[in-house]
Amino acid sequence: MTQQVTTQLTEKLPRLSRARAATVRPWLLLAPALAVLAVLLLWPLVRVFLFSLQDYGLREITTGEPNWIGVENYAQILATPELWTVVLPNTFGFAVLSVAGTVVLGTGVAVLLASLGTFWRTVTSSAIMAAWAMPAVTGTYVWVWIFDADRGVFNDALMSLGLLDDPTNWFTNRWTFYAIVLLNVIHHGFPFVAVTVLAGLLGVPKEMLEAAEMDGAGSFRRFFSIIVPQLRQVFAVVIILSTIWDFKVFAQVFLMPGGAGSNRSVLNLGVWSYVESFGQNRYGFGSAIAVLLTLLLLVVTAVYVRTVLAEEER
Amino acid sequence: MTRAMRRPLVAATGAVLLAATTAACAGGSGDETEGDGTLSVWIMQGTNPDAKTFFDDVSAAFEEQTGATLDVEFVEWADAHDRFVTSIAGGTTPDVAETGTTWTPEFADAGALAPLDEYVDGAGVTEDLVEGLVEAGTYDEQLYGMPWYAGVRSLVYNTEMFEQAGVEPPTTWAELEEAAAGLKEEFPDKIAVAVPGDAEFTVYPWVWGAGGEVATLDGDTWTSGLDSPESQEGIEFWTGLATEGGYSSEGATTWRETDVLDAFAAGDVGMAVMGSWTPGAIVDANKDMEGKFAAVPIPGQDGGIAPSVLGGSHLSMFETAEDKDLAFEFIEMMTTGEFAQQWGEQSGYFPGQVSLLDETLASTDPLVAPFAEQFVDGGASVPAAPTYGAVQAKLTTSTMMQSILSGEADVATASEAAAEEMTNVLNGSE
Repeated sequence: MTQQVTTQLTEKLPRLSRARAATVRPWLLLAPALAVLAVLLLWPLVRVFLFSLQDYGLREITTGEPNWIGVENYAQILATPELWTVVLPNTFGFAVLSVAGTVVLGTGVAVLLASLGTFWRTVTSSAIMAAWAMPAVTGTYVWVWIFDADRGVFNDALMSLGLLDDPTNWFTNRWTFYAIVLLNVIHHGFPFVAVTVLAGLLGVPKEMLEAAEMDGAGSFRRFFSIIVPQLRQVFAVVIILSTIWDFKVFAQVFLMPGGAGSNRSVLNLGVWSYVESFGQNRYGFGSAIAVLLTLLLLVVTAVYVRTVLAEEER
Repeated sequence: MTRAMRRPLVAATGAVLLAATTAACAGGSGDETEGDGTLSVWIMQGTNPDAKTFFDDVSAAFEEQTGATLDVEFVEWADAHDRFVTSIAGGTTPDVAETGTTWTPEFADAGALAPLDEYVDGAGVTEDLVEGLVEAGTYDEQLYGMPWYAGVRSLVYNTEMFEQAGVEPPTTWAELEEAAAGLKEEFPDKIAVAVPGDAEFTVYPWVWGAGGEVATLDGDTWTSGLDSPESQEGIEFWTGLATEGGYSSEGATTWRETDVLDAFAAGDVGMAVMGSWTPGAIVDANKDMEGKFAAVPIPGQDGGIAPSVLGGSHLSMFETAEDKDLAFEFIEMMTTGEFAQQWGEQSGYFPGQVSLLDETLASTDPLVAPFAEQFVDGGASVPAAPTYGAVQAKLTTSTMMQSILSGEADVATASEAAAEEMTNVLNGSE
C-alpha cells in the first residue's frame, strides 16, 4: 500500500509543474512529523475541548457515556465571584511582577557575566545554575523553612534585631504570602534569562559598541540604545516563556502553608483550577478552565509577538 | 538511506507499535487472559513496614486454600487516587483493592465497586465489624467496603512536661484548659496545646464533643451542622485555646498534622490530637522521646469521650472481578481472624473486627489502651457521602480554622461560611 502510493507519486511528480512540486514537496516531507504531532498534541487538545462541554466525572468515566451540557461549565466559571476578586488579580499581578523581576534581574546578571573574565564567569554561572537546577518543590520547601513562623531564620533575625516583638505567620497574609512566592519564582527563574541574554550579549558586534563609545555614549546610553535593540528577539523569547511559566505557577503556591486552598485569599489560577476540578473529580469543569487558560495565553503571546514584529518593521 | 532499507523499517516500527499496544492491553487486564488462576490485588504502601513478608505468607495460605495465586501490587498513597480513577476509566481495575475509607463511597457511587452484603452475611461476620468503619463503607444502604484496619486520634501528651508543670491529663474541657494554663506558666516558650489550622480531623472531636454534627443526611439531602450552636461552642473552645489563651503558636495557624508531629517529637508541644499510628514515628524522629509521652481519649465537654474519626482502610471488590467468590475468600482471609490480627500487630493499627480487639483492649500500654478505648467507645466516621472527597479537596474545614486562627473571621462567620459550602458540595450543587 505504502509502496504503491510512493510509486504513484514519483511517477506523477515529473508531470506536475515546478510550482506545484514546490508546494507539495515540503508538506510531504513534513507529513510524518505533523502526523505524530496531530496524534500526540492535537487529538488531546480536541478531547479536552470536548470534555469541557460535558459534566464529566467519575461516573461518566466508568460508564463511558457522554454527558453533554453545552457551555454550562464556561458559564459557571465566569460566574464565580472568587475568580474575579481573588484568582485572576492574584494570577495577573503575580505574573507581571515576576516576569518583570525575572527579566530585570536576569539581564543584570547577564551584563555582569559579560564583563567578567573566563574564570569568574565560570564560577558565577555555575552558582546561578545551581539555583536553576534546584527542583521547584525543593526550592519551595527551603523558602517555607526560612519564613517559618516559629522556627524560621527570618523571624529569628527580625526578633533578635528588635524589629519584631512576637513571631508573625507570613503565610496567612495575601501580600506577604505572594512576596515569598515572588522571591522563590524569581530566584528559580532568573538563571534561564541570564544565560539566554548572555548568549545574545556576546553576539552584539564589538565594533558598534566601540563606535558608540567614540561618539561619546555613556554605558547606560550604550546599553539602552545599542544592546537592547539588538537583543529584541532574545527579550521576546524570554518574556513570552516567562509569562507562560509564571501564569501557570502551581507547585510554588500549592506547597506553601495554606496555599493548597485553606487560605482562599491566595488562590491563583493553577491552584484554583486544580482544587475545583481534579480535587473534586469534575474533569469537564477542569477542561473548560484549561481551554480558557490556553486561549488567554494565546492572546497574550499573540499581542506580544505582534508588537515585536511591528517594531521590527518600523 | 535507500528505499529498499526504508520499507522494512516502517514495517518493523508498525510491528513494534502493535506489539506494544497488545502488551499494554494484556498488562491492564492480566487476569482475563490468564483465566481463573490469579487474583489481582492493590495494597497501599507504607502501612506495614514488613508488608512483603506478610503477603508472602498470605499468598501461600491463599494458594493452599483456593488453588489460585495472588498478584499483589503495592501502590503509593499519594498516587493511589489517580491510579484508581485512571484504571476505572480504562476498565483495568484490580479484583480487590485497599481503599481509604473516604474513597469507598466515591468509587461505589461511580459504579466501580461490587456490594458485599451477601458475602458478609454468608461469612457470618456482619455483627462483628467495627461500626464506624461499616458506616464509612456504606453507600446507598449497601456495604461496599469491608472493614480491614483503622487508627484513631486521641489526645497525646508529653508526660515529662506534665510532671514538671504539676498538671494531670484532662478528662473534661475545663481540665484541659487548666492543664494548658499550667503548662504555659511552666514553659512559656513551648506550645501548651497545638491547635493546627490545616488538619480537619483534629477539629471534629470538639464539634461532636459539644453535641454538634459535621453533616447529617435526611432523605437525599445532606446538611452540614458546623454552624449549629453546639458545633460553634466546640469550635470556639478549640480555637479559643489558641486565639484567647495563647496556648498554641503563631505557626500552628498553617500547620498540618505532620507539622504537629514534628513539633511534638522535638519536645516542643505539651499536648496535641494525634493518631494511634504516630507513637512509632515520634520515637523514630527523636529517640529521646521514648517513654516520655502517653495518650488519653479526647475528653467530652463535661467528661466521657468525645468521638474521633476512624481513619483507615477497607478492602473493596471491583465490579471487574471475574470470580467474585474467590475475591471475597481473599477479603475474608485478610479482614478476619489470624491475618487481620497479625496485620494490626505489625502495622500498629486496630483490626476492623470487634472480637479481635478484646486482647488489645486488655493491654496496659499507655500508648495502646487509651487509643483502643477511643477506638471502641469513641469512634466516628466523616459523612459517608461520595462527595465528601470534594469537601476535603476544597479544604472547607481547614479554611474555617485558618481564618479563625489568623483572626480574619470570628467563629460564627467562619462556621456559617463553612457549613454553607459543605452543604452545597455534599449535595453536589456546586
